[in-house]
Amino acid sequence: MQISAKITLLLTPLLLAVAYTTFAERKIIGYMQIRIGPNRVGPRGFLQPIADALKLLTKEVIVPTNANRYLFLTAPVLAIAPSLAAWAVVPFDDGMAIADINAGLLYILALTSLGVYGIIVAGWASNSRYALLGSLRSAAQIISYEIAMGFALVGVIMAAGSLNLGEIVEAQRGSVYHWFLLPLLPLFLVYFISGVAETNRAPFDVAEGESEIVAGFHVEYSGMAFAVFFLAEYANMILISALTALLFLGGWLSPLEGLLPQAAFALPVIGWVLDGGIHWFLAKTAFFLFLFLWFRATFPRYRYDQIMRLGWKVLIPVTIVWLFLEGVAVAFGLGPWFA
Amino acid sequence: MIPLSHYLVLGAILFALSVTGIFLNRKNLIILLMCVELMLLAVNMNFVAFSHYLGDLVGQVFVFFILTVAAAEAAIGLAILVLVFRNRETINVQDLDEMKG
Amino acid sequence: MTVEEILFYAMSTVLVGAAVAVITVRNPVHAALALVLAFFATAFHWVMLEAEFLGILLVLVYVGAVMVLFLFVVMMLDINVARMREGFARFLPVGLVVAVGMMGLMAMVVGAGVFRIPGPERAAADHSNTAALGHLLYTEYVYPFEIAAVILLVAIIAAIVLTLRRRPGTLHLDPGRQARVRRNERVRMVKMHSEKQ
Repeated sequence: MQISAKITLLLTPLLLAVAYTTFAERKIIGYMQIRIGPNRVGPRGFLQPIADALKLLTKEVIVPTNANRYLFLTAPVLAIAPSLAAWAVVPFDDGMAIADINAGLLYILALTSLGVYGIIVAGWASNSRYALLGSLRSAAQIISYEIAMGFALVGVIMAAGSLNLGEIVEAQRGSVYHWFLLPLLPLFLVYFISGVAETNRAPFDVAEGESEIVAGFHVEYSGMAFAVFFLAEYANMILISALTALLFLGGWLSPLEGLLPQAAFALPVIGWVLDGGIHWFLAKTAFFLFLFLWFRATFPRYRYDQIMRLGWKVLIPVTIVWLFLEGVAVAFGLGPWFA
Repeated sequence: MIPLSHYLVLGAILFALSVTGIFLNRKNLIILLMCVELMLLAVNMNFVAFSHYLGDLVGQVFVFFILTVAAAEAAIGLAILVLVFRNRETINVQDLDEMKG
Repeated sequence: MTVEEILFYAMSTVLVGAAVAVITVRNPVHAALALVLAFFATAFHWVMLEAEFLGILLVLVYVGAVMVLFLFVVMMLDINVARMREGFARFLPVGLVVAVGMMGLMAMVVGAGVFRIPGPERAAADHSNTAALGHLLYTEYVYPFEIAAVILLVAIIAAIVLTLRRRPGTLHLDPGRQARVRRNERVRMVKMHSEKQ
């Protein structure tokens, strides 16, 4: 089957990337705090994620007494399934996606909104107050930021005139000034901040809140069931980074396009590097992924009511105002973007 | 090829089940709300099926509006339910008999 | 059986099973999760019927938001499940009679030969259901669309007004007041000679 080969080709590097994101996180935050980070397993610690995975695989999955057994074990699957399924429509290069569907962006929005079930069910099924509190916090947070995120995406759809991710990237072709980063700068910021909040990452990680509610929704989880929640969280982080690159930074398009003379792209090897392609997409994704880690090392955690205030009273009004301005710009065919 | 009647029968089964649900769970306000959602789903199923088989998009427009109004209904319904629970400490339909003469 | 028929029957089984679970299970949380499954199966059917916009919308709005709200309420309220189940067995016969009766009547109507029409040809791969629906919504049905938007706005405001309450005694901080604090509101300088032993 061709499709299963494609899925394997996508998921294997993705899961490896997830594993090594955890390693990168520990290393980068280590260096930011003037430490070295893990450096014992393998050369310079490069086998650390493998060792972690082996350790978690061999540990027991403890199901607490009075927990709802089936839901308790289903919850990690509910968390990771949408974050992997969403990758089906992400194009890595022109036409290089598993399913190139018309309503790709809607599909992604629908699937990312499902991730919350894993957290709610985990919190409820563990029969623990900390877990329930963490999951309710997280559910309210994810639902709130979904709105700001959806509005930011509406801006992208208006500018591109399509819901297909490939067509959205093609609409940004021209030069680096044609990327939606410039005309939609506020929406870009809103989208990325909402993305950080959606994935429950610092500084919005009250769902976990290890210093107040011990570890939130996954306090009762151990072994591989615990690891699956983390796989889901990191897969979501990579997904949000990839989507930001696609929607606002022109995906696989080269930033040098339109700046260098055409002859430069015709050179044998250098031309291939300079021209657009999957490597630019991966580089942009890696940059946003780095931002996630940087935020975690830099910002203190928000208080819960502050998170809600930021989502409802700052981000949503900003998007509404900018959508209105964008509508005017589209109506008058402003600049190189909306012409 | 699946004929239209299959989808209509499916919608009918769903509708009958949700009506039965209202009979069986007549005390639990939350389950009653869920049964109403299920009922709307059955109706929407028929609309979408007819829209596809008759080649007329208007059926889907109708479903779009039903979804909108049903979402609003669910939000307000749950808000009222939370209020009832806060004031009466129960959501049992039989306990809500203040107005009984 | 074709692949389409197999998928249809499989998803219909899931849908009917989930619907039965919604009305029979003991725990409201399980009922809500079963309803989520029912929405999923329905979304699948709609995508098969080439209504992919509505299928995705159903997942996005119902599964992603409305059902989360339901779960939220069910988990927050401390419900006495046992009392809620009183009368379940008593009404079971009546419910079954109603279900079978309704089912029979509706099957008589929809099972008639008139509805045995085969489906139309599958649309071409570049046909966009979203674009077609959007075109219809923003031209012919633009006024109903606006009214729907107003209904949603009213629902938002109503839900907030209904559930908002000011609880006395909460340690609420007002950032504006915090920022406006002057030194002389907080610190009193006292001139005082050093005491000698």
